[in-house]
Amino acid sequence: MKKILKKYKLILLAIVLYGIFFIFKRDIFFTAINMTGSFLLEMLQVLPPVLVISALITVWVPSELIRKSLGNKSGIKGKLLSLVIGSISAGPIYAAFPAVLVLFKKGASVSNLVIILSSWAVIKAPMVLVEINFLGLRFALTRVALTIPAILVMGHLVEKLVKRENIGEKTENTAKSIKDIESRLPNLNCGACDYSDCSSFAEGVFQGETTMKQCVVLQKQIKSEVSIIGQKTD
Amino acid sequence: MTTTIMIILAAGFLLFSIIKSRKKTKKSVMIAKQMFLNTFIDVAGIMALVGLVLALLPPDLIKQLLGGGSKILSTIFGALIGTVTIMPAFIAFPLSKSLYMSGAYLVTIAAFLTTLTMVGVATYPIEVRHFGRKFTLVRNGISFVMALVIAFGMGILL
Repeated sequence: MKKILKKYKLILLAIVLYGIFFIFKRDIFFTAINMTGSFLLEMLQVLPPVLVISALITVWVPSELIRKSLGNKSGIKGKLLSLVIGSISAGPIYAAFPAVLVLFKKGASVSNLVIILSSWAVIKAPMVLVEINFLGLRFALTRVALTIPAILVMGHLVEKLVKRENIGEKTENTAKSIKDIESRLPNLNCGACDYSDCSSFAEGVFQGETTMKQCVVLQKQIKSEVSIIGQKTD
Repeated sequence: MTTTIMIILAAGFLLFSIIKSRKKTKKSVMIAKQMFLNTFIDVAGIMALVGLVLALLPPDLIKQLLGGGSKILSTIFGALIGTVTIMPAFIAFPLSKSLYMSGAYLVTIAAFLTTLTMVGVATYPIEVRHFGRKFTLVRNGISFVMALVIAFGMGILL
């Protein structure tokens, strides 16, 4: 019950607030509903294809390939590829989070993670056209031209400041706590284990309700990296 | 336009996947479905709240805040407003144009537009859930500073 409340707290808060405005300030209620409607419509169009592609990458694309093309040693080619991936993808930045996490878990570097996220957010071919329309060619192109190097610098800085282990799976020790279990999970929150997300699954494992074997994504990795993960789960 | 291409691409890959292996496709669809539900629950509440805030904060007020005063101050304001709001492009660009028409600095508008999409307070909880607190704070912090750098760079170039 508590968990459900926590999970839906923002939606519940929104419903309460909308209720209040519906009663007292109906015009604001309708403006807000319209605004939210357009957000949700955008989300419904963009999320399904992005997530289907991400899920297919999870299942089909070998980690080797991602590591080679986007990993630490991918160099300038990897950075350019990241810029291209980010700028041809559709949708707002929150659609990028699950998709980029998939790439990261498969070995993309921290720097490329930031490059994809940022270019996904700022550099968008159709958006640039709209921007030219409203603010002029010079403004739009200068902004893009300055943003690209800025994004590359950002990738470099974040990589310097945040270690890979602080983002992804930690690879040490055996399970002492729920956090430990969680850190070994892919944290894709895919739900194939029938838990709503990886932290609930970790809790389940810790309390003995289920086993690590129920993690579909991890099972896939185990097959390809038996030696490494085998030592950890012993 | 890109959305349509993405949908076609996703459908194409899915078809290819079905031909190759039904089992793997089923697994992919399950993963995608769960990711969708999770993201939807996360985002829907935030969107509803942002919608409400935007309804309460009419564009006119934003115009007032960004319209005048010192260049540096209004630019920092622009970056801050961009940070705390999410706005679909079809509102953001017309708003920026009318801001410019009513005398706001180009630098201010550039800062606003850049932080609007790159830095997110509203999407902060979602980002933390995916990447952890440290990464989210560092990325957003650096992005904010970079947005200001981009904006002032534009001030020099234009």
